[in-house]
This record gives sequence, structure tokens and C-alpha cells, in this order.
Amino acid sequence: MSVTREQLDAYIDDALSETETAQVEQALRSSDALRRQLRSLMQERDRGDHSVGAIWRRRRLSCPTREQLGNFVLQVLDAEVEEYITFHIRTIGCAFCQANLADLQTRQQEPKKSQERRRRYFESSAGYLAARRK
Amino acid sequence: MPSDSDRLLIAQIRQGDGRAWESLIERYEGRLLAFVDRRLHDRAASEDVVQETFIGFLNSLPNFDENRELQTYLFTIASHKLTDQLRRLGRHPIKSISDSPSDLLNQQYDHHKGVSSMARSQERRDLESVAIEHCLGQMIRQWQEKSDYIRLKVMELLWIKGWANRDVAKFLKISEQQVANFRFAAVKKLSEHVRGAGLSAEVFPELQQAPGE
Repeated sequence: MSVTREQLDAYIDDALSETETAQVEQALRSSDALRRQLRSLMQERDRGDHSVGAIWRRRRLSCPTREQLGNFVLQVLDAEVEEYITFHIRTIGCAFCQANLADLQTRQQEPKKSQERRRRYFESSAGYLAARRK
Repeated sequence: MPSDSDRLLIAQIRQGDGRAWESLIERYEGRLLAFVDRRLHDRAASEDVVQETFIGFLNSLPNFDENRELQTYLFTIASHKLTDQLRRLGRHPIKSISDSPSDLLNQQYDHHKGVSSMARSQERRDLESVAIEHCLGQMIRQWQEKSDYIRLKVMELLWIKGWANRDVAKFLKISEQQVANFRFAAVKKLSEHVRGAGLSAEVFPELQQAPGE
């Protein structure tokens, strides 16, 4: 299937899955027409044009909740909901839900590493929080 | 819509509550790290980007609209920080197709500039986004509540992926007419809503298309 305008738009936002990003980059390298289309899309964005699809994607209007994704990992959802989430993650390739899913899976496997990271984030940002009190 | 627990967290962080800030980090760092590392494939660099995301969030907190979903807002900041990092590394998609500074791609793509060149005002654009988000969000929730997943899948493939009617029909094993009907109904409802809000539906390419295209 060829690269669509919507894929290019998501590509500019770094919102495609890893596989799709690689496919788009390969297509861009080999197609003058696609590069022209990308330029044109960037000009449109610069003018302030937008699309329903981009708003849907950026605002995550159909993304499952975190709780649903947790239940998806545990495989305790109704079959049709589970099937939709699989579609959303695999076929649509939602990078935000893929990240949530990866987090839910690794949280169980590496609890100690997560704690260390969180402590570092807190220590490096606490000064900015303290500045808010002044 | 943001959850009550996120609203409370934001209110506490605005008061400078360290424990609330720790809770926010605990809640969101893992998914942000996974999101960033998907592109960077470098755990240490990804952790730095997540760190910048949290600092960016604190700096932007005075302007944060509490009606926005916190997770989406954090992902947006992370996306910008990720793009900056990829550009620094010379690995941003746009950068990687041409390194020539005179190339049009490099001239055109810079999300930090361009405000003065916008044909429509940012304010108008925000109103259009809110109108779409409100109406489409409501439509999607209704489809989900009615378990009308086939319609949701059709519209997601059409508008998020940009597939043609025939490809959607083939993939979902339904008729092209059914796909066209779903598209027509969604375009009609959204267009009416946007116009009802006193805005132009013509600025959205999806709402200009005749059903069946």
C-alpha cells in the first residue's frame, strides 16, 4: 500500500510506529513525487491548515483507557473490545497506546529499575517545583 | 476529559506539593519513556528526553488548560522534545532526507517559527480543533458504547490512516457501499456541527470530499 497524506502527517509529528516510520523513510528516499507531497504538506501546516484525522490522532479520541489496556494485558476483556484494541495497536499503529502497553508490561518485570528512574526524575526537577512556590 | 485524580494532582503541584509531583512522575514516566525510546533506541538518551519533558511540563504549568487530558499533554511535550533530540542527532525524518541547508524541506520545517506566516489565526485554528474534538469525540464514544466497532474501525482507517474506501472494505471484509455510508454519515454530522459553531468545514480536507472518494 502506498504512503498516504495522513501517514506523512503523522510522520512529521514522529507519531508513527517504528515499522511504519521505516517504510515511509524508504519511500521518501526513492520517490520525488512523495518528497514533493511532503513539502506541500509542510507548507499547508505552516499556513495553519489541519485535518480531522490529525486532530483525532493527536487528541487520542479513540484510544483505550489505561485501565482497558491493563485488562488487555491480563486478557480479561470482552472479545470484541479486545479485538478492537488489537486493531488500534497493530493496524492503526497508535504510538501512544503502544507506549502504554510497553510500560504496563515492563512495570511488572523491572519494578526496581522504574523506582530508580523515578527518583532521578524527581531529583532533577524538584528545583523547578520549588521555584513555583516562590 | 482529564480524570478527577489528575485534576487533583495538578492542583496540588500548582501549590508546590512535592509528593504530588512524585506521584505524577510515578504515574507517567514509564509510558513516556517507552514512547521516546521507540524512536531513539538509546535508553540513557531517552531518559534525558523524559527528564526534559517533566521540566518542560513544570515550566508550562501556568498555561496548562485543566480541561485538557494530562496524558495527551505530556505526550505532546515529549513529542516536541523527541523531535528536538532527533534533529540534534541529525536523525529527524525531515532532516534525514536532505542535509542541504538550502533544501526547501529544511527551510519549511521548523515548528518554532512560522507564526507570522499563518494565513489563519491560531485562535481560529484552536476553535476549529475544539469543535472537531468535541463532536468527533462524542461520536466515537457513542460507537464504543453501542459496540459499533466496525464503524469505528472504518472511520479510523479512513481518517487516521488515509486508506481509500475500497482498501478499507477489502481489509474489513465489508462492502464498499457500507464504507461509503459510514463516511457520508460522519462527514454530514461533523460538517453540521462545525458550521453550527460558526466555523467553516471547508478547512478540513476530509469534510470537502464527496462520499465514495
